[in-house]
Parts: sequence; C-alpha cells; structure tokens
Amino acid sequence: MSTETTTTNETSTDVDQRGLVDRLTASPFVSRLLSNRLALAGIAIIVAMVVIALYARLFLDLDVITQSQLGTNPNRAAPSLDFLFGTDGQARSLLPRVAYGAWYAMLFGTVTVAASTVLGVGLGIIAAYYGDVTDNVIMRTMDVLLAFPSLLLALALVAIFPDDLGLWRAVAALTLVYTPRFARVVRGAALTVLENEYIDATVALGAADPRVLVRHVLPNCLAPITVQSTLNFGLAIIDLAALSFLGFGAAAGTPSWGLMLSNGVSQGLLTGVWWWSFFPGFFLALTVLGFNLLGDGMRDALDPRMREAVD
Amino acid sequence: MISTRFVLKRLLLLVPVLVGVASLVFSILHLSPGDPALTIAGERASEEFVRQVEESLGLNDPIWVQYGRFLVDAAQFQFGESFIIQRNTAVREVLTNKLPVTLELAIYGQLIGISLGIPLGILSAVKQDTITDHLTRIGALAGISVPIFWSGPLLILLFAQMLGWLPTSGRISVLYNVEAIRVTGLVTVDTLIAGNWDMFVSAVRHMILPASVIGVYSMALISRMMRSSMLEVIRQDYMRTARAKGQGAKITVLKHGFRNAMIPVITVIGIQFGGLLGGAVLTETVFAIGGIGTLLVEAIKVGDYPIVQGTVLTFAFLFTLVNLGVDITYSVLDPRIEQ
Repeated sequence: MSTETTTTNETSTDVDQRGLVDRLTASPFVSRLLSNRLALAGIAIIVAMVVIALYARLFLDLDVITQSQLGTNPNRAAPSLDFLFGTDGQARSLLPRVAYGAWYAMLFGTVTVAASTVLGVGLGIIAAYYGDVTDNVIMRTMDVLLAFPSLLLALALVAIFPDDLGLWRAVAALTLVYTPRFARVVRGAALTVLENEYIDATVALGAADPRVLVRHVLPNCLAPITVQSTLNFGLAIIDLAALSFLGFGAAAGTPSWGLMLSNGVSQGLLTGVWWWSFFPGFFLALTVLGFNLLGDGMRDALDPRMREAVD
Repeated sequence: MISTRFVLKRLLLLVPVLVGVASLVFSILHLSPGDPALTIAGERASEEFVRQVEESLGLNDPIWVQYGRFLVDAAQFQFGESFIIQRNTAVREVLTNKLPVTLELAIYGQLIGISLGIPLGILSAVKQDTITDHLTRIGALAGISVPIFWSGPLLILLFAQMLGWLPTSGRISVLYNVEAIRVTGLVTVDTLIAGNWDMFVSAVRHMILPASVIGVYSMALISRMMRSSMLEVIRQDYMRTARAKGQGAKITVLKHGFRNAMIPVITVIGIQFGGLLGGAVLTETVFAIGGIGTLLVEAIKVGDYPIVQGTVLTFAFLFTLVNLGVDITYSVLDPRIEQ
C-alpha cells in the first residue's frame, strides 16, 4: 500500500498544506474504503438518496403532495409517462411522495442512530471499565430495556408521547430502544480489550481514566461499534417505517414510506394496484441496502486486523 | 466449565430486572393518555357509572397502592379481564390461546435463520473475497435491507395470487377446526398428534411464507455476525499455532475457530429472538395470523390496558429467559466472562 507509506513518511506540515481532497484520499482508511466496490455502490445509493431528499425538501410543495388530488388526477393510475410511479387512492402522484419519503427517512434515521450510538457507547465503556456497582447499575438498567423485544417496547413507548409529535415520538422511542444494544456490545468488546496487558501498562504509566477509555479502549472497540451502527442505521429506517406501517408513526397523509406502504398493501395490492406499495417499499429497501453496503465497507477499512491480513 | 454459583447469581439478578420490567410497564401505562374507566364504560355512560368503574378498578387509590397491587398481580400472572377485545375474559386465558401462535412462528423463523445463517457465515469467512463470499454477503445484506412488510405482501402476490402455490393468509385452511384438536396450541404439532396428515400439510403450507419472511431476516443478521466474528478469530495466534502443529484447516476452523467466533453470534441470536417477536407483530399483520402480536397492536389502538400489560410483560418475561440462556452460554464459551 504505497499511499500509506507516503503519508507516514511526510511531516504533519506537509500534510496540512495540501488540499482537503488530497488529504482524504491519502488516508489509508478512505483509500481502502474507495477501493471496495460494494462500499462505493453503498455511497452512490446514499448520495443519490440525500440528493433526492434535499431536492424534495427544497423544491417540492408539501401541501400538494399531502392533499387529495381526486378530480385533478386519475385515481389509482398505473405508472405512465405522466405519472412515472402511478397515482394512489387519493389520486396523488406517487413519484413526489416517494421522493419526499427519502427526506423523512434520512432525517429521522440519522437522529435516531446518532443519539443511541452516543448514549450506548458511553454507557457500555464506562460499565466495563469501572465494573462493580457502576457496571451493575448501568447494565441492569440496560437489561430492563433489553428485556423487551425492540419493536414491542417501541410500540409501548410511542403510546406515551402526544400524537402531534408525529414521527418524532417514534424517534424518541427507538433511541431508548437501541441504546442498550450499543451498551451491551461495547461492554463485551471493552471487557476483552481490558484483558490486554497494554491497558495495564497504560494505567501503570499514570494515564487518567478518560485517556485510557478514549485513546486505548474506544479505538479497539470500533469494529463492533461500526457493525452495530451499520445494522442499526438500516434497522432505524425500517423500524421507523414499521411503526408508521402499524399506524403509530406518521400522521395520515404524510408522505412517509411506511405509511404509503401500509395504505398500498391494505387498499391496493390484492386488487392489482401494485405500484402503490411497490415504489415506497423499493426505495425503503434500497436506502437501507445503501447504508448496509457502506457500513460493511467501513468495517473492513477500519479494522486494523483486517488490513494487516489483506495487505 | 459452568459453575452453579454463576447460574444462581444470574437467576437472582433476574428478580430486579423483572421488577424493573414490571415497573416500566406500569409507568408507561400510567403516562399514556386515555382514561381506562371511560374506555370500559363507553363514551355515552353516565358520570356515576364511570365513577363506579373507576372504583372497581381501584383507580382512585394512591398511585403507590396501585403500583404495589400491580406488582403482586403481575408476579402471579394476573392481569384482570379484557376491557374490549374479549370483554370479561381473563387476560391470562386470552394470552394462553394466542401465545403459541406467535411462538410457533418465531421458532420456525429462528430455526431457518440459525440453520442457514451459521454455515453461510462460516463459508463466507473461510472463502473471504471469493465469489461465494460476495454472493453470500450481498444476499445477507439484501435480506437485512428488505422490510418484512414489503417482502411479505410481494411474496403473497407472487406465490399465492399469481402462481397459486401457497395460501395467502391464516394458519390453516378454513375447512379445518384446529381448536377441536388443540393440545399444545402449535398447529403443526397438534395436527401431527391428531394424526391428520391433510391438516398437517395444510398447516405447513400456511407456515412456509411467514416463517421464510421472518427467517431470511434472521439468517441475514446471523450470517453477517458469524462472518465478521470468524474473520477476526481466524487471524488469532492460536489458530496459526493449531495450523502450525499440523492440524487440518477444516478441523482448526470448526474446533478452535467456531467456539470462539460463536460468542458475539450468540448475543446476536439472543437479541434477534426479540427481533423475531417484533417481526412477528409485522408478519402476523401481513399474513392475517391471529397471534399475540396482532393482539397487542389492536389492544394499544383501542386502549385495552389489561391486554397491553399482559402481552408486553409476557413478551418481556420470555425474552428475559432467552437472555439468561445467552449469558450462561456466553460463560460456557468464554470462561473469562464469569470473573
């Protein structure tokens, strides 16, 4: 790997003087990631979805997308040049609705995963490092939350937030639901890392707790954290849609993929109106696939043990 | 090896977890909007009657009295009677009827997931970066990415509506009366016990689509974790040592690699069991199977609180037992965890 050797030989001033793009491509992590075709496909899908999401948010009129178009458009029209994805039971064109669904999925998915990762990783590492009472208090609390199957806990939690929060109540519920998973996986990984002699050595050299945790324990737990975040990004987008599918997420009329899918399946699928549920579901699955492809690539690129074996 | 002390300690630790679980359910239901007394009495009931219902439910007692009573009742699996869904039927009875339906679905789904996921994960790791690996990984990624509530309806459209090979919904053909032969409540088992081959075939045919939809999801998660875990283990020194001693590649992977690589996989299988129960809610909805999942969704929607309490606590109790099993297996596989 020539780029890596070059980077390490250069002084930091040299690196700072180069452009951002050069510096990024010189990083072994990024160059490894970019050489992974599946990860590139994932990035392409995500970029496309982000562009669609931003376009929808900035240029589409939410009122027109949400309101019934009966009388204006043909009802339940099959995909055609006028309506590429067809129209639904309110004669609304599905194309802009599906596009707007990308904005909802990206926004709410990102918030959910970010919040639960930060909470869970912090709790997991602290539990593993301090052990004893701290460990027991944290992990038993996590156990209480983990004792519920995730979607069921989310269903129960969603019920306590007021309806007018819409999808935000699903975000709040799912953040609480996912946090213990991160905590548990990270604690397990951190326990194994803490068995290593270099941790004892670092502590013996007088390193403060935060330094040991952030500089030595955390980097060695990155692989499971990445795998878990990856799995959870997909899960978050699916679970948000699932809550809407079951009727506990987005308010009626909202162009969220889960809700469109729910209406399409219950009102259209078995009478031949397949496009109503097909397109929202397809974009939902594609987005999740994108994040899963990228996450897998990141995992391989991040893990030093993988790198050593492949080089 | 596994010590009795460790298991006993774990069992004792379950008590506070279950109390925590019950407390959380109690809090959730008391924080939820909606008045149970009004739900039971009906919108048009006189104020006096609503007061009577409130009194009979003990809703006028101080909150800590209600909490204490709830804990004592929950410990005995007593959740009162259903308000709405099956009025005047004990929640315990409703659950006893519906639980096997969901368990059966989850068990078949998990069996499909484990029996395909583990071998595929190992194969993918051992053949890293070959066509086999790529195909398995892409398949697994697709399996995780496709939501049950999209793949399910599409499979119904294809195999039931268009090809007519499999039934669209339900647990067994409407021609058969499963209740008459009920022993375990698991329809594939009961039909076998009754010795009715036609009924058994019908039950299996109804199980294929829902169990596959759930199983593919589970398989994908398990094979992913198995692959990444096995890849890490393969690079360990003890694996190289075993190979250097002259041990064959297959035996090394299966004997030394498998056991160590299984540790994170078991966590995933344990957590995934909860995912399956959640997936059962969606699958039951899609395939119109009347299990505990569809029961819960309906109960939350209409505000049948005793059913919600009973269902959620039953799910949590089952799942806690599975987690206990995971912890114990964990310590068998990696004795260091016990300390």
